[in-house]
Amino acid sequence: MIPHVELEALRLHTAWGAMPHVAVLRIRGEDAFDALDAVCPADLYLRDGQLLHTLLLTDDGRPFVDLYVGRDDEDFLLLAEGLEADALAARLRDAWPAGLDVEILDLRQSHTLLSLHGPWAWELMAELVGPGVVGLPYLTLYHEPEWICVRAGKTGEFGYDLLVKNEGQDALRDRILELGQGFGLQEVGLAALDQCALENGFFNIRREGRSGATPLELQLQWRLSAGKRFPGADALAAQREAGPRRRLTTVVANAPFRDGDRVWLDGQDVGEVVNSGACPFRGDHVGLALLQRATAHAGLEGFTVGPQADGPPLRTVSPPVIHNRSLFVQPQKHSYRTRDEHAFPPLSPEPAAAPGSHP
Amino acid sequence: MNETLRKRIEAREAVLGRIREILISTLHVERAPAELDPDTPLFGTGLRLDSIDAVELWVSVCDAFQFPPPEDERRITALRTLNTLADLILELRVEDAP
Repeated sequence: MIPHVELEALRLHTAWGAMPHVAVLRIRGEDAFDALDAVCPADLYLRDGQLLHTLLLTDDGRPFVDLYVGRDDEDFLLLAEGLEADALAARLRDAWPAGLDVEILDLRQSHTLLSLHGPWAWELMAELVGPGVVGLPYLTLYHEPEWICVRAGKTGEFGYDLLVKNEGQDALRDRILELGQGFGLQEVGLAALDQCALENGFFNIRREGRSGATPLELQLQWRLSAGKRFPGADALAAQREAGPRRRLTTVVANAPFRDGDRVWLDGQDVGEVVNSGACPFRGDHVGLALLQRATAHAGLEGFTVGPQADGPPLRTVSPPVIHNRSLFVQPQKHSYRTRDEHAFPPLSPEPAAAPGSHP
Repeated sequence: MNETLRKRIEAREAVLGRIREILISTLHVERAPAELDPDTPLFGTGLRLDSIDAVELWVSVCDAFQFPPPEDERRITALRTLNTLADLILELRVEDAP
């Protein structure tokens, strides 16, 4: 059970987390680009300070790492979920062509990653470093004297990852906690972050990423280059030619359901739930199901979910299933301290949510 | 699969097909239609469209589906993925029906 206070902080206030599940590597050397380009399925056309969101794939085209790649001067910064740093570094070295001048540094040995999230995280950041940070575009990074700030996040709200040298982490955390008193700051765990990712349609390598599905089935083709060669490309080309049989689809139900439950339509088994969780702001339950392609469309009713076909009703929707407050907060106009003076849309886009389930 | 469900799927596929055409021909997204998954994010990450693209996409969609621009809140929530845009178009068609 995810503490409600954590979800409230993420959706309505500010939240921070230690992010131990993220490996951070720096790739440097004369051949850093060539080395990374050989394993990365996306086109690495990045300006200094720019990031892109991609994957690392096995030879049979299945993702094993959810990856941000950032250009940091001549180096590349990797923020990766799905493998520990040592294992990731070993996989990269194994996959690289021999003889390249490239070095991998595990930055978690020397740095700590702190993350800030929430619709007012930008304002907390502005108090921490100055108003210039408010204009930092999504998927960019910049350097402070003692740390690197990455504008990212997988919650649908404002998000900042702060990579700080170990010797400076206590001072930075103390300052954030002090400033955070004015922003309802709450520490959050991975379960709450994962629930927000689920509600917003962000890929989770630890859940649907372990289903054996490929990017064609996971609706992640946008993370792949349309033209280049990469590990898994042949397998994906073959699957594209044959036509993927399943597609990841967001589903909601008023009754709880769980990972592994079957999805039924007209008494036929049409798929499997691969991620699920209660959504208190909607007053229902949300999940992801790998459905047979013919039925894998948003906006459909008539499904049921459970071990047998007589389970509770289920329907398909388009993510995000939440109206992110961050979409409606305007830094030029709004402030956390006067937030109650402004009318924001309710978090639930559907008025049928349980009474009192959204603030 | 019953007839109602089949018609809903056909209607959504037709709308998604037109959105894909607009993305490729008007916004010059360099992808084959089959590579544009319905839940692909349009802005920030995903197709990485920018604020100028947003205006062009919005004008093109309003023109293609012949509806007047809806209010800001609906526009903001619709311009997230191909599917959320299709949701709005299908919703406005229902509202428009006699």
